[in-house]
Amino acid sequence: MYLQDIARVIRSKNAGPRCTTLDIMFNSDEDYNRVIQSKVINQALIAKLYDMPADQVNIIEYPMSRALKIAIPRKITAGDPGDRDVYGAQQHARLFKVEIV
Amino acid sequence: MSATGRILKEFAGLKTRRPLKLLGASGQLGYGIPTPAFQAGLERKPDLIGCDMGSIDIGPYYLGSGNMATARESTKRDLRKVLIAARLHDIPLVIGSAGSAGGAPHLEQTLAIVREIAKEGGLHFRLGVIAGDIPKDIIIDAIRAQGVVGIDGMPALTEDDVLGAAHIVGQMGMSSFEQAFKADIDVLITGRACDTAIFSTLPVMLGFPIGLSVHLAKIIECASLCCLPGGRDSILATLDDESFVLESMAPQRRATPTSVAAHSLYEQNDPYVIIEPEGRAVLNEAKYEQIDERRTRISGAQWLEAPQITIKIEGSTRVGERAILLCGAADPIFIKNHEEILRDVTKVVRDLVCEDAPEDYTLFWRVFGVNGVTDPLPDAVTPSEICMTIECIAPTTARASEVVRTMKQYLLHFGYEGRLSTGGNLAFAFTPPEISVGTAYKFSVYHIMTTARLSELFQLKIEEL
Repeated sequence: MYLQDIARVIRSKNAGPRCTTLDIMFNSDEDYNRVIQSKVINQALIAKLYDMPADQVNIIEYPMSRALKIAIPRKITAGDPGDRDVYGAQQHARLFKVEIV
Repeated sequence: MSATGRILKEFAGLKTRRPLKLLGASGQLGYGIPTPAFQAGLERKPDLIGCDMGSIDIGPYYLGSGNMATARESTKRDLRKVLIAARLHDIPLVIGSAGSAGGAPHLEQTLAIVREIAKEGGLHFRLGVIAGDIPKDIIIDAIRAQGVVGIDGMPALTEDDVLGAAHIVGQMGMSSFEQAFKADIDVLITGRACDTAIFSTLPVMLGFPIGLSVHLAKIIECASLCCLPGGRDSILATLDDESFVLESMAPQRRATPTSVAAHSLYEQNDPYVIIEPEGRAVLNEAKYEQIDERRTRISGAQWLEAPQITIKIEGSTRVGERAILLCGAADPIFIKNHEEILRDVTKVVRDLVCEDAPEDYTLFWRVFGVNGVTDPLPDAVTPSEICMTIECIAPTTARASEVVRTMKQYLLHFGYEGRLSTGGNLAFAFTPPEISVGTAYKFSVYHIMTTARLSELFQLKIEEL
Protein backbone atom coordinates (compact mmCIF):
# COMPACT_ATOMS: atom_id res chain seq x y z
CA MET A 1 0.00 0.00 0.00
CA TYR A 2 1.15 3.50 -0.81
CA LEU A 3 1.01 6.48 1.54
CA GLN A 4 -1.47 8.15 -0.85
CA ASP A 5 -3.92 5.30 -0.28
CA ILE A 6 -3.98 5.72 3.49
CA ALA A 7 -3.33 9.44 4.18
CA ARG A 8 -6.08 12.07 4.35
CA VAL A 9 -3.68 14.94 3.63
CA ILE A 10 -0.20 15.04 2.11
CA ARG A 11 0.98 18.61 1.67
CA SER A 12 3.98 20.92 1.67
CA LYS A 13 4.42 24.60 2.55
CA ASN A 14 7.09 26.99 3.65
CA ALA A 15 7.62 27.68 7.33
CA GLY A 16 9.55 30.86 6.64
CA PRO A 17 11.69 31.34 3.52
CA ARG A 18 14.39 28.86 4.60
CA CYS A 19 12.32 25.83 5.55
CA THR A 20 9.91 23.49 3.78
CA THR A 21 7.48 21.54 5.92
CA LEU A 22 5.66 18.40 4.87
CA ASP A 23 2.48 17.34 6.66
CA ILE A 24 0.97 13.89 6.47
CA MET A 25 -2.42 13.43 8.17
CA PHE A 26 -4.59 10.38 8.65
CA ASN A 27 -8.31 9.77 9.10
CA SER A 28 -8.11 7.33 11.98
CA ASP A 29 -5.86 6.47 14.91
CA GLU A 30 -5.51 3.05 13.34
CA ASP A 31 -4.06 4.43 10.10
CA TYR A 32 -1.85 6.88 11.98
CA ASN A 33 -0.52 4.20 14.32
CA ARG A 34 0.06 1.83 11.47
CA VAL A 35 2.32 4.31 9.70
CA ILE A 36 4.10 5.33 12.92
CA GLN A 37 4.70 1.72 13.90
CA SER A 38 5.91 0.79 10.42
CA LYS A 39 8.72 3.36 10.97
CA VAL A 40 8.78 3.80 7.19
CA ILE A 41 8.68 7.60 7.42
CA ASN A 42 12.11 8.23 8.88
CA GLN A 43 14.99 10.65 8.43
CA ALA A 44 16.85 8.38 5.99
CA LEU A 45 13.83 8.03 3.68
CA ILE A 46 13.10 11.77 3.59
CA ALA A 47 16.80 12.51 3.09
CA LYS A 48 16.85 10.17 0.10
CA LEU A 49 13.62 11.52 -1.43
CA TYR A 50 14.70 15.15 -1.04
CA ASP A 51 18.40 14.61 -1.65
CA MET A 52 19.87 15.99 1.56
CA PRO A 53 21.79 14.78 4.63
CA ALA A 54 19.60 12.83 7.08
CA ASP A 55 20.64 14.99 10.02
CA GLN A 56 18.92 17.97 8.38
CA VAL A 57 15.54 16.23 8.46
CA ASN A 58 13.32 16.83 11.48
CA ILE A 59 10.25 14.65 12.03
CA ILE A 60 7.67 15.37 14.74
CA GLU A 61 4.78 13.06 15.65
CA TYR A 62 1.59 14.97 16.37
CA PRO A 63 -1.01 12.42 17.53
CA MET A 64 -3.73 14.96 18.42
CA SER A 65 -4.21 15.55 14.70
CA ARG A 66 -3.04 12.07 13.67
CA ALA A 67 -0.27 13.81 11.79
CA LEU A 68 3.42 13.69 11.02
CA LYS A 69 5.27 16.97 10.60
CA ILE A 70 8.50 16.90 8.62
CA ALA A 71 10.73 19.97 8.35
CA ILE A 72 13.60 20.16 5.86
CA PRO A 73 15.81 23.09 4.87
CA ARG A 74 15.18 24.70 1.49
CA LYS A 75 18.10 24.42 -0.90
CA ILE A 76 17.29 27.86 -2.27
CA THR A 77 15.79 30.58 -0.07
CA ALA A 78 12.22 31.33 -1.15
CA GLY A 79 12.18 33.76 -4.06
CA ASP A 80 15.94 33.81 -4.65
CA PRO A 81 16.98 33.73 -8.33
CA GLY A 82 16.57 30.16 -9.55
CA ASP A 83 13.87 29.19 -7.04
CA ARG A 84 11.10 27.06 -8.50
CA ASP A 85 8.45 27.15 -5.79
CA VAL A 86 8.27 30.36 -3.75
CA TYR A 87 5.52 29.12 -1.41
CA GLY A 88 6.90 25.58 -1.28
CA ALA A 89 3.40 24.25 -1.83
CA GLN A 90 4.27 21.69 -4.56
CA GLN A 91 7.08 19.72 -2.94
CA HIS A 92 4.90 16.99 -1.46
CA ALA A 93 4.14 14.69 -4.40
CA ARG A 94 7.15 12.41 -3.97
CA LEU A 95 5.62 11.23 -0.70
CA PHE A 96 2.57 9.76 -2.48
CA LYS A 97 4.28 6.58 -3.57
CA VAL A 98 6.06 5.79 -0.30
CA GLU A 99 5.26 2.18 0.39
CA ILE A 100 3.72 1.38 3.75
CA VAL A 101 4.44 -2.17 4.84
CA MET B 1 -14.20 57.88 24.76
CA SER B 2 -12.45 55.70 22.22
CA ALA B 3 -13.21 52.06 21.54
CA THR B 4 -10.08 50.75 23.29
CA GLY B 5 -10.51 53.16 26.20
CA ARG B 6 -14.06 51.97 26.75
CA ILE B 7 -13.28 48.26 26.96
CA LEU B 8 -10.25 48.80 29.21
CA LYS B 9 -12.42 50.91 31.54
CA GLU B 10 -15.25 48.37 31.50
CA PHE B 11 -12.93 45.52 32.53
CA ALA B 12 -11.20 47.65 35.16
CA GLY B 13 -14.61 48.03 36.83
CA LEU B 14 -15.56 44.34 36.74
CA LYS B 15 -15.23 42.21 39.87
CA THR B 16 -14.93 39.05 37.78
CA ARG B 17 -13.91 39.07 34.15
CA ARG B 18 -16.64 38.41 31.61
CA PRO B 19 -15.79 36.33 28.54
CA LEU B 20 -14.13 38.27 25.72
CA LYS B 21 -15.26 37.84 22.11
CA LEU B 22 -12.75 38.35 19.31
CA LEU B 23 -13.68 38.33 15.64
CA GLY B 24 -11.02 37.13 13.18
CA ALA B 25 -12.34 38.87 10.08
CA SER B 26 -9.62 38.03 7.61
CA GLY B 27 -6.28 36.29 7.41
CA GLN B 28 -5.37 38.09 4.19
CA LEU B 29 -7.11 41.42 4.08
CA GLY B 30 -7.33 42.57 0.47
CA TYR B 31 -8.30 39.21 -1.03
CA GLY B 32 -11.97 39.52 -0.09
CA ILE B 33 -13.91 39.14 3.17
CA PRO B 34 -17.07 37.07 2.63
CA THR B 35 -19.91 39.33 3.78
CA PRO B 36 -22.45 36.81 5.20
CA ALA B 37 -19.99 35.34 7.73
CA PHE B 38 -18.61 38.76 8.64
CA GLN B 39 -22.15 40.06 9.26
CA ALA B 40 -22.97 36.97 11.31
CA GLY B 41 -19.88 37.70 13.38
CA LEU B 42 -20.96 41.28 14.01
CA GLU B 43 -24.35 40.07 15.22
CA ARG B 44 -22.54 38.22 17.99
CA LYS B 45 -21.35 41.59 19.34
CA PRO B 46 -17.58 40.99 19.32
CA ASP B 47 -15.27 43.10 21.50
CA LEU B 48 -12.65 43.48 18.77
CA ILE B 49 -12.27 42.97 15.03
CA GLY B 50 -8.84 41.85 13.88
CA CYS B 51 -7.34 41.33 10.42
CA ASP B 52 -3.93 40.18 9.35
CA MET B 53 -2.79 41.69 6.09
CA GLY B 54 0.71 40.36 5.53
CA SER B 55 3.12 37.49 5.34
CA ILE B 56 6.67 36.67 4.33
CA ASP B 57 5.40 33.72 2.24
CA ILE B 58 4.69 35.93 -0.74
CA GLY B 59 8.40 36.26 -1.43
CA PRO B 60 10.92 39.10 -1.45
CA TYR B 61 9.44 41.22 -4.27
CA TYR B 62 6.78 43.05 -2.28
CA LEU B 63 9.01 43.96 0.65
CA GLY B 64 11.76 45.05 -1.73
CA SER B 65 9.65 47.04 -4.18
CA GLY B 66 7.27 48.65 -1.71
CA ASN B 67 4.28 47.36 -3.67
CA MET B 68 1.27 45.62 -2.15
CA ALA B 69 0.43 42.06 -3.21
CA THR B 70 -3.30 42.78 -3.20
CA ALA B 71 -5.10 44.94 -5.74
CA ARG B 72 -5.93 48.45 -4.54
CA GLU B 73 -9.65 48.13 -5.26
CA SER B 74 -10.15 44.83 -3.43
CA THR B 75 -8.02 46.13 -0.57
CA LYS B 76 -10.23 49.18 -0.34
CA ARG B 77 -13.39 47.06 -0.40
CA ASP B 78 -12.15 44.97 2.53
CA LEU B 79 -10.89 47.94 4.50
CA ARG B 80 -14.18 49.76 3.98
CA LYS B 81 -16.11 46.73 5.21
CA VAL B 82 -14.19 46.37 8.47
CA LEU B 83 -13.85 50.11 9.14
CA ILE B 84 -17.55 50.82 8.74
CA ALA B 85 -18.45 47.84 10.94
CA ALA B 86 -15.98 48.75 13.68
CA ARG B 87 -17.17 52.36 13.81
CA LEU B 88 -20.84 51.38 13.68
CA HIS B 89 -20.42 49.05 16.66
CA ASP B 90 -17.79 51.29 18.27
CA ILE B 91 -15.32 48.45 18.85
CA PRO B 92 -11.56 48.40 18.25
CA LEU B 93 -10.32 47.42 14.80
CA VAL B 94 -6.77 46.07 14.60
CA ILE B 95 -4.93 45.50 11.32
CA GLY B 96 -1.43 44.04 11.32
CA SER B 97 1.31 43.90 8.65
CA ALA B 98 -0.31 46.56 6.49
CA GLY B 99 0.03 46.37 2.72
CA SER B 100 1.32 42.76 2.49
CA ALA B 101 4.93 43.27 3.61
CA GLY B 102 4.50 45.84 6.39
CA GLY B 103 7.21 48.31 5.31
CA ALA B 104 6.87 52.10 5.20
CA PRO B 105 5.53 52.29 1.61
CA HIS B 106 3.04 49.47 2.32
CA LEU B 107 1.81 51.17 5.47
CA GLU B 108 1.53 54.51 3.68
CA GLN B 109 -0.52 53.03 0.83
CA THR B 110 -2.84 51.34 3.33
CA LEU B 111 -3.26 54.57 5.32
CA ALA B 112 -3.99 56.51 2.13
CA ILE B 113 -6.86 54.10 1.41
CA VAL B 114 -8.11 54.35 5.00
CA ARG B 115 -8.13 58.16 4.87
CA GLU B 116 -9.98 58.01 1.55
CA ILE B 117 -12.63 55.69 3.01
CA ALA B 118 -13.02 57.88 6.09
CA LYS B 119 -13.49 60.96 3.93
CA GLU B 120 -15.93 59.29 1.54
CA GLY B 121 -17.99 57.75 4.34
CA GLY B 122 -17.83 60.66 6.77
CA LEU B 123 -16.16 58.42 9.36
CA HIS B 124 -14.37 60.03 12.29
CA PHE B 125 -12.09 58.09 14.58
CA ARG B 126 -8.80 58.08 16.43
CA LEU B 127 -6.26 56.12 14.44
CA GLY B 128 -3.11 54.62 15.93
CA VAL B 129 -0.28 53.87 13.51
CA ILE B 130 2.92 51.96 14.29
CA ALA B 131 5.55 51.59 11.58
CA GLY B 132 7.42 48.29 11.37
CA ASP B 133 10.63 49.50 9.71
CA ILE B 134 13.88 48.97 11.57
CA PRO B 135 16.42 51.81 11.21
CA LYS B 136 19.62 50.45 9.68
CA ASP B 137 21.89 51.97 12.33
CA ILE B 138 20.04 50.02 15.03
CA ILE B 139 20.68 46.75 13.17
CA ILE B 140 24.34 47.64 12.61
CA ASP B 141 24.70 48.39 16.34
CA ALA B 142 23.11 45.01 17.06
CA ILE B 143 25.48 43.23 14.65
CA ARG B 144 28.47 44.86 16.39
CA ALA B 145 27.09 43.74 19.76
CA GLN B 146 26.73 40.14 18.47
CA GLY B 147 22.97 40.47 18.79
CA VAL B 148 21.91 39.21 15.34
CA VAL B 149 21.48 35.50 14.55
CA GLY B 150 20.38 33.93 11.25
CA ILE B 151 17.15 31.90 11.21
CA ASP B 152 17.21 28.37 9.74
CA GLY B 153 20.81 28.58 8.57
CA MET B 154 20.60 32.08 7.09
CA PRO B 155 24.20 33.36 6.74
CA ALA B 156 25.59 35.81 9.29
CA LEU B 157 24.30 39.31 8.60
CA THR B 158 26.92 41.84 7.49
CA GLU B 159 26.81 45.61 7.66
CA ASP B 160 26.91 45.66 3.84
CA ASP B 161 23.81 43.44 3.73
CA VAL B 162 22.01 45.92 5.93
CA LEU B 163 23.13 48.96 3.96
CA GLY B 164 22.24 47.29 0.65
CA ALA B 165 18.71 46.24 1.61
CA ALA B 166 15.79 48.07 0.00
CA HIS B 167 13.60 47.70 3.10
CA ILE B 168 14.07 46.03 6.47
CA VAL B 169 11.12 45.44 8.77
CA GLY B 170 10.76 43.78 12.15
CA GLN B 171 7.85 41.85 13.59
CA MET B 172 6.50 43.91 16.46
CA GLY B 173 4.73 42.06 19.23
CA MET B 174 2.26 42.59 22.05
CA SER B 175 4.34 45.18 23.88
CA SER B 176 4.18 47.46 20.83
CA PHE B 177 0.45 46.98 20.38
CA GLU B 178 -0.13 47.62 24.07
CA GLN B 179 1.15 51.21 23.88
CA ALA B 180 -1.46 51.87 21.19
CA PHE B 181 -4.33 50.34 23.16
CA LYS B 182 -3.36 52.51 26.14
CA ALA B 183 -3.43 55.61 23.93
CA ASP B 184 -7.19 55.59 23.63
CA ILE B 185 -7.61 54.71 19.97
CA ASP B 186 -10.41 53.30 17.82
CA VAL B 187 -8.38 51.79 14.99
CA LEU B 188 -4.83 50.47 15.00
CA ILE B 189 -2.92 49.86 11.78
CA THR B 190 0.63 48.58 12.03
CA GLY B 191 3.54 47.80 9.79
CA ARG B 192 5.11 44.34 10.00
CA ALA B 193 3.80 42.62 13.10
CA CYS B 194 3.38 39.20 14.64
CA ASP B 195 0.03 37.99 13.38
CA THR B 196 -0.77 36.87 16.93
CA ALA B 197 -0.36 40.32 18.53
CA ILE B 198 -3.44 41.55 16.62
CA PHE B 199 -5.64 39.36 18.82
CA SER B 200 -3.60 38.51 21.92
CA THR B 201 -2.71 42.02 23.10
CA LEU B 202 -6.16 43.08 24.33
CA PRO B 203 -6.95 39.90 26.32
CA VAL B 204 -3.50 39.94 27.93
CA MET B 205 -4.01 43.58 28.95
CA LEU B 206 -7.37 42.61 30.45
CA GLY B 207 -5.74 39.89 32.55
CA PHE B 208 -6.57 36.74 30.57
CA PRO B 209 -3.86 34.04 30.56
CA ILE B 210 -1.11 34.81 28.04
CA GLY B 211 -0.69 31.22 26.81
CA LEU B 212 -4.40 30.93 25.97
CA SER B 213 -4.48 34.38 24.38
CA VAL B 214 -1.53 33.62 22.11
CA HIS B 215 -2.84 30.18 21.17
CA LEU B 216 -6.23 31.68 20.29
CA ALA B 217 -4.58 34.45 18.30
CA LYS B 218 -2.43 32.06 16.28
CA ILE B 219 -5.55 30.20 15.18
CA ILE B 220 -8.00 33.00 14.41
CA GLU B 221 -5.50 35.16 12.54
CA CYS B 222 -6.17 32.76 9.65
CA ALA B 223 -9.97 33.21 9.96
CA SER B 224 -11.79 29.89 9.39
CA LEU B 225 -8.78 28.02 7.99
CA CYS B 226 -8.79 25.84 11.14
CA CYS B 227 -12.21 24.44 10.23
CA LEU B 228 -13.49 21.56 8.17
CA PRO B 229 -13.68 22.55 5.37
CA GLY B 230 -11.22 25.41 5.85
CA GLY B 231 -11.98 28.81 4.37
CA ARG B 232 -11.67 32.57 4.48
CA ASP B 233 -14.85 33.26 6.44
CA SER B 234 -14.73 35.17 9.71
CA ILE B 235 -14.32 33.21 12.94
CA LEU B 236 -15.36 34.05 16.49
CA ALA B 237 -13.29 33.16 19.55
CA THR B 238 -14.81 33.46 23.02
CA LEU B 239 -12.19 33.53 25.75
CA ASP B 240 -12.51 33.03 29.50
CA ASP B 241 -9.90 32.38 32.19
CA GLU B 242 -9.63 28.64 31.52
CA SER B 243 -10.24 28.13 27.82
CA PHE B 244 -11.50 29.54 24.56
CA VAL B 245 -14.21 28.40 22.18
CA LEU B 246 -13.92 28.65 18.41
CA GLU B 247 -16.86 28.94 16.06
CA SER B 248 -16.76 29.77 12.37
CA MET B 249 -19.28 32.38 11.30
CA ALA B 250 -19.96 30.38 8.12
CA PRO B 251 -22.48 27.61 8.92
CA GLN B 252 -20.84 25.01 6.68
CA ARG B 253 -17.46 25.30 8.42
CA ARG B 254 -16.99 23.15 11.52
CA ALA B 255 -14.28 23.76 14.10
CA THR B 256 -13.55 20.20 15.27
CA PRO B 257 -10.89 19.13 17.78
CA THR B 258 -8.88 17.47 15.01
CA SER B 259 -9.20 20.35 12.55
CA VAL B 260 -8.26 22.97 15.15
CA ALA B 261 -5.32 20.96 16.48
CA ALA B 262 -4.17 20.42 12.91
CA HIS B 263 -3.98 24.17 12.38
CA SER B 264 -0.86 24.17 14.58
CA LEU B 265 0.87 22.31 11.77
CA TYR B 266 0.21 24.98 9.19
CA GLU B 267 3.31 26.95 8.14
CA GLN B 268 5.02 26.03 11.42
CA ASN B 269 8.04 23.82 11.77
CA ASP B 270 7.07 22.75 15.29
CA PRO B 271 3.36 22.31 16.08
CA TYR B 272 3.96 22.41 19.84
CA VAL B 273 5.44 25.91 20.10
CA ILE B 274 4.38 29.44 19.11
CA ILE B 275 7.38 31.76 19.39
CA GLU B 276 6.74 35.43 20.12
CA PRO B 277 9.12 38.34 20.83
CA GLU B 278 8.18 38.20 24.53
CA GLY B 279 8.27 34.43 25.01
CA ARG B 280 6.66 31.28 23.75
CA ALA B 281 3.33 29.49 24.06
CA VAL B 282 3.87 25.77 24.61
CA LEU B 283 1.08 23.52 23.41
CA ASN B 284 2.15 20.07 24.66
CA GLU B 285 -0.67 20.07 27.24
CA ALA B 286 -3.25 21.68 24.96
CA LYS B 287 -6.69 20.05 25.05
CA TYR B 288 -9.25 20.19 22.26
CA GLU B 289 -12.80 19.26 23.32
CA GLN B 290 -15.80 19.07 21.08
CA ILE B 291 -18.78 21.15 22.32
CA ASP B 292 -21.07 20.38 19.41
CA GLU B 293 -20.77 19.78 15.69
CA ARG B 294 -19.46 23.26 14.95
CA ARG B 295 -17.62 24.36 18.09
CA THR B 296 -14.49 23.27 19.92
CA ARG B 297 -13.19 24.32 23.33
CA ILE B 298 -9.41 24.68 23.66
CA SER B 299 -7.38 24.89 26.85
CA GLY B 300 -3.98 24.03 28.26
CA ALA B 301 -1.50 26.31 26.45
CA GLN B 302 1.33 27.40 28.75
CA TRP B 303 3.35 30.60 28.47
CA LEU B 304 7.10 30.74 29.02
CA GLU B 305 8.42 34.25 29.19
CA ALA B 306 11.69 34.92 27.34
CA PRO B 307 14.60 36.35 29.32
CA GLN B 308 14.63 39.26 26.89
CA ILE B 309 12.60 40.52 23.95
CA THR B 310 13.91 39.50 20.52
CA ILE B 311 12.75 40.82 17.15
CA LYS B 312 12.50 38.82 13.96
CA ILE B 313 13.79 41.06 11.16
CA GLU B 314 13.17 40.65 7.41
CA GLY B 315 14.90 42.47 4.61
CA SER B 316 14.89 42.38 0.83
CA THR B 317 17.60 43.47 -1.58
CA ARG B 318 17.52 44.28 -5.29
CA VAL B 319 19.26 41.65 -7.43
CA GLY B 320 18.71 43.16 -10.88
CA GLU B 321 16.07 43.57 -13.56
CA ARG B 322 14.13 40.53 -14.74
CA ALA B 323 12.86 39.59 -18.21
CA ILE B 324 11.26 36.28 -19.12
CA LEU B 325 10.37 34.33 -22.23
CA LEU B 326 7.37 31.98 -22.23
CA CYS B 327 7.30 29.24 -24.85
CA GLY B 328 6.30 25.65 -25.46
CA ALA B 329 7.43 22.67 -27.48
CA ALA B 330 5.72 19.49 -28.67
CA ASP B 331 8.45 17.91 -30.78
CA PRO B 332 9.60 14.63 -29.17
CA ILE B 333 13.15 14.98 -30.47
CA PHE B 334 13.42 18.51 -29.11
CA ILE B 335 11.91 17.42 -25.79
CA LYS B 336 14.29 14.48 -25.50
CA ASN B 337 17.31 16.69 -26.13
CA HIS B 338 16.11 19.92 -24.53
CA GLU B 339 18.84 20.10 -21.87
CA GLU B 340 21.64 19.95 -24.38
CA ILE B 341 19.83 22.29 -26.78
CA LEU B 342 19.26 24.91 -24.07
CA ARG B 343 22.91 24.72 -23.02
CA ASP B 344 24.12 25.06 -26.60
CA VAL B 345 21.85 27.99 -27.39
CA THR B 346 22.97 29.73 -24.18
CA LYS B 347 26.53 29.66 -25.53
CA VAL B 348 25.44 31.06 -28.88
CA VAL B 349 23.57 33.84 -27.11
CA ARG B 350 26.50 34.62 -24.83
CA ASP B 351 28.87 34.97 -27.79
CA LEU B 352 26.45 37.39 -29.43
CA VAL B 353 25.39 39.59 -26.52
CA CYS B 354 28.86 39.65 -24.96
CA GLU B 355 30.67 40.62 -28.15
CA ASP B 356 31.12 44.15 -26.88
CA ALA B 357 29.79 43.87 -23.31
CA PRO B 358 30.65 41.87 -20.19
CA GLU B 359 28.71 38.73 -19.23
CA ASP B 360 26.78 40.69 -16.66
CA TYR B 361 23.57 38.62 -16.49
CA THR B 362 22.34 35.29 -15.22
CA LEU B 363 20.08 33.05 -17.24
CA PHE B 364 17.79 30.40 -15.75
CA TRP B 365 15.29 28.10 -17.33
CA ARG B 366 12.51 26.00 -15.95
CA VAL B 367 11.11 23.24 -18.10
CA PHE B 368 7.56 22.55 -16.99
CA GLY B 369 6.58 18.98 -17.63
CA VAL B 370 10.11 17.87 -16.74
CA ASN B 371 11.61 19.72 -13.76
CA GLY B 372 10.03 23.16 -13.60
CA VAL B 373 8.70 22.59 -10.09
CA THR B 374 10.73 19.78 -8.48
CA ASP B 375 13.53 17.43 -9.41
CA PRO B 376 12.06 14.52 -11.37
CA LEU B 377 11.61 11.14 -9.69
CA PRO B 378 13.42 8.16 -11.26
CA ASP B 379 10.15 6.81 -12.71
CA ALA B 380 9.11 10.12 -14.32
CA VAL B 381 7.71 9.74 -17.85
CA THR B 382 8.72 11.89 -20.81
CA PRO B 383 5.94 14.42 -21.48
CA SER B 384 4.36 14.99 -24.90
CA GLU B 385 4.59 18.76 -24.45
CA ILE B 386 6.76 21.04 -22.36
CA CYS B 387 6.50 24.65 -21.32
CA MET B 388 9.64 26.66 -20.76
CA THR B 389 10.28 29.88 -18.92
CA ILE B 390 13.62 31.38 -19.81
CA GLU B 391 14.52 34.03 -17.27
CA CYS B 392 17.27 36.61 -17.36
CA ILE B 393 18.34 38.83 -14.47
CA ALA B 394 20.63 41.65 -15.62
CA PRO B 395 21.75 45.07 -14.35
CA THR B 396 19.24 46.90 -16.56
CA THR B 397 15.84 46.19 -18.11
CA ALA B 398 17.31 46.78 -21.57
CA ARG B 399 20.06 44.21 -21.01
CA ALA B 400 17.69 41.57 -19.62
CA SER B 401 15.35 42.13 -22.54
CA GLU B 402 18.20 41.91 -25.06
CA VAL B 403 19.32 38.56 -23.65
CA VAL B 404 15.86 36.90 -23.64
CA ARG B 405 15.02 38.24 -27.11
CA THR B 406 18.25 36.83 -28.48
CA MET B 407 17.58 33.58 -26.65
CA LYS B 408 14.10 33.44 -28.20
CA GLN B 409 15.33 33.87 -31.74
CA TYR B 410 18.21 31.38 -31.54
CA LEU B 411 16.26 28.78 -29.58
CA LEU B 412 13.47 29.07 -32.15
CA HIS B 413 15.76 28.31 -35.07
CA PHE B 414 18.54 26.26 -33.50
CA GLY B 415 19.57 23.36 -35.74
CA TYR B 416 19.99 20.66 -33.12
CA GLU B 417 21.25 17.16 -33.81
CA GLY B 418 18.59 14.94 -35.39
CA ARG B 419 16.11 17.74 -36.07
CA LEU B 420 13.24 16.95 -38.50
CA SER B 421 11.19 20.08 -37.85
CA THR B 422 12.94 22.96 -39.59
CA GLY B 423 10.06 25.47 -39.36
CA GLY B 424 10.79 26.52 -35.78
CA ASN B 425 11.42 24.82 -32.44
CA LEU B 426 9.03 26.77 -30.25
CA ALA B 427 5.31 27.49 -29.90
CA PHE B 428 4.35 30.95 -28.65
CA ALA B 429 0.85 31.31 -27.24
CA PHE B 430 0.98 35.04 -27.98
CA THR B 431 3.44 37.66 -29.05
CA PRO B 432 5.45 39.28 -27.70
CA PRO B 433 6.43 36.09 -25.87
CA GLU B 434 9.09 37.92 -23.86
CA ILE B 435 8.13 40.23 -21.01
CA SER B 436 10.03 42.56 -18.71
CA VAL B 437 8.67 41.79 -15.27
CA GLY B 438 10.41 44.44 -13.21
CA THR B 439 13.01 44.39 -10.50
CA ALA B 440 14.09 41.08 -8.96
CA TYR B 441 14.73 40.95 -5.22
CA LYS B 442 15.99 38.41 -2.74
CA PHE B 443 15.65 38.01 1.01
CA SER B 444 18.91 39.24 2.45
CA VAL B 445 17.73 39.56 6.04
CA TYR B 446 15.86 36.85 7.93
CA HIS B 447 17.34 37.03 11.39
CA ILE B 448 16.58 37.34 15.08
CA MET B 449 17.80 40.56 16.64
CA THR B 450 18.41 41.51 20.24
CA THR B 451 18.89 45.22 20.67
CA ALA B 452 19.62 47.65 23.48
CA ARG B 453 17.69 50.26 21.49
CA LEU B 454 14.31 48.51 21.65
CA SER B 455 12.55 51.63 22.94
CA GLU B 456 13.40 53.44 19.69
CA LEU B 457 11.53 50.87 17.60
CA PHE B 458 7.83 50.70 16.75
CA GLN B 459 6.85 54.23 17.77
CA LEU B 460 3.15 55.02 17.97
CA LYS B 461 1.68 57.91 16.02
CA ILE B 462 -1.88 59.15 16.47
CA GLU B 463 -4.02 60.60 13.72
CA GLU B 464 -7.49 62.06 14.21
CA LEU B 465 -9.72 61.37 11.24
